Amino acid sequence: MIHTIPVDRVLRETVATPYRNLVTRPTGVAVRQGITQRMDAIGCSTAALDFSSVGLIDFSCADEVVAKLLLGTDPTSDRYLLLMGLEDHHAEAIDHVLGHHSLAVAVIQLTGDQLLLGRVGQDARIAFSHILALGPGDPADLAGALRWTIKRAANAVQALALLRLVVAHSGRYRPLPL
Amino acid sequence: MTRVVEVPTYFDDRAFDHFAAAFGDWPPEGKVLLDARGAKWASPYGLITMLTAGQALAELDCEKPLLTVPDSAEVRRYWARTGFFHHAADLFEIHGTVPRAAPATESDVLLSITPVRASHDVHEVVGLIQERAGHILSGKLGIGAKATLGFTMALSEACQNIVEHAGTGGWVAVHAYTWRKRLGRRVVVIAVSDAGVGFRRSLETSQANQFGDRWGDASALEAALIQGVSRFRDPGRGQGLAGIKRYLSRWQGKISIRSGTARLSIVPSWDDDVPLADHLPYFPGSQVQIVIPQQDAQPE
Repeated sequence: MIHTIPVDRVLRETVATPYRNLVTRPTGVAVRQGITQRMDAIGCSTAALDFSSVGLIDFSCADEVVAKLLLGTDPTSDRYLLLMGLEDHHAEAIDHVLGHHSLAVAVIQLTGDQLLLGRVGQDARIAFSHILALGPGDPADLAGALRWTIKRAANAVQALALLRLVVAHSGRYRPLPL
Repeated sequence: MTRVVEVPTYFDDRAFDHFAAAFGDWPPEGKVLLDARGAKWASPYGLITMLTAGQALAELDCEKPLLTVPDSAEVRRYWARTGFFHHAADLFEIHGTVPRAAPATESDVLLSITPVRASHDVHEVVGLIQERAGHILSGKLGIGAKATLGFTMALSEACQNIVEHAGTGGWVAVHAYTWRKRLGRRVVVIAVSDAGVGFRRSLETSQANQFGDRWGDASALEAALIQGVSRFRDPGRGQGLAGIKRYLSRWQGKISIRSGTARLSIVPSWDDDVPLADHLPYFPGSQVQIVIPQQDAQPE
C-alpha cells in the first residue's frame, strides 16, 4: 500500500524552523533521515513524497533527499519511492541530480498519469507507459503489445526493474503498488 | 608603517585586481588603510571584497585596518543602504562620517550585504530574496517567474560553497542596476566572497596528484567549475556549480570565480572577458560573481 509523506511537514519537524524551502545539504540530510524514519515506522512498501507545499528545492538538497533515498534503498527490498505534488522547478532540480547518478523516479501527476524523471532509456520509457496502461504481464505480453522482439521488451523491463520503477518477480512485472 | 590601499573610483570586478595588488605580499606588513575617499561607485562585488579583506586580516590577527569613507555623501548613503558600514564597523577602524543606515528598500538592492556562516544563513538569504526580488526580476529584467526560482537556486548554491568549503564565513549581496558602458542594459548581480581556504587548498588532497605540475589556483578552478569535482568523495557533490552553469546558459548569464591568483569565467557572447586569467595578484579566499542580463531588451 502507498503511504504519502508530506515533505514540508518533515522539513518543519526535523529542522524545527519555519523554512519551507529545501535548500542546503545539512537540511537535505535531516529531511532524508526524517523520511526514512517515517518509512521504517510505518513499514510501507511504497512511499509517495508529496512536495506540494515545498517552496524551492535546490540541487544540493535534491541530491541529499531524493537521490540518496534512492541510492540507499536495498535493491532486494520491496520498498519503492514515488514523488507527487511537483512544480516544474522541483522537477527540474530532481531530474538534474538523478541524471547525474543514473537514477530515475516516477512522479504521480494531478491527472493520475506518471512521469519519469532522471536517466531512463527511450525503450524503457515506452515500456513504462505501456505497463501502466496494460497492467501486470511478462515480456512476451509487452513485446506483443509494442511489436517488439521479446529480447527488446525483456531488456526494457529489466532496466525499469533495476531502476525500481516497476516490480519484477519470477519473469513477470507489474506497476508499483499504489 | 601604514600600507595605503586605494579603493578604485569605480570598484567592480574589473577593478578588483588593482585593489588586490595594492595589498602587496599577503598578509601585508604593518597597518592597512583602505582609502575610499575617492570612491564614486562600488558594485556588490567591490563592497563585499572590502569586507573580505578586513575579515582576512582579522582572522590573521593583523592590526585592525583603517577605512576612510567616501568623500561623496551620496556614495556614503548608498554604501550605508547596502549594509556595508554596518558590517565594516566590526572589521575596520572607520574614519569619516557614516550616515545612519536606512533600510534597503530601494529596488536596486535586492539583498543587502548579508553574512553567510552556516546553513541557516543560506535559508535566510533564500527567504529574503524570494520576498523582495520576484517583481524586480520579472518586471524590470524580463526574467519569468520560473527563472526567478532558478535564480534563487543559483544564489543558494553559491552561498553554500562558503558553508561547505571555505572553512570560515563570507558575504553575499545582490543588486540590480544598469551596465551602461559594458552592456547597455540592466543586470542583476550576485556577489559572494569569503576569506577562506580557496579552491586550491580545498581540492588539494583529492586533485593535486592528478594535475601534477599543473596544479595551482587556475587548475583548481577548472576542476571545480568545468569538471565538477569536489573535495568530498560523495559522487553527488559538485552539482551546485553544475546547476548554476545550467541556469546561466539558459539566461545568457555569466559566472566568474576568482580564487588565490586565478579567475575562471564562463563568458557569454555579450561579454569580452577572458575565460581564464592566471598569475593575478593574490587575494585570500574565493570570490564569485554571477550576472544575469535583462532579457529581450533593447540596449538602453
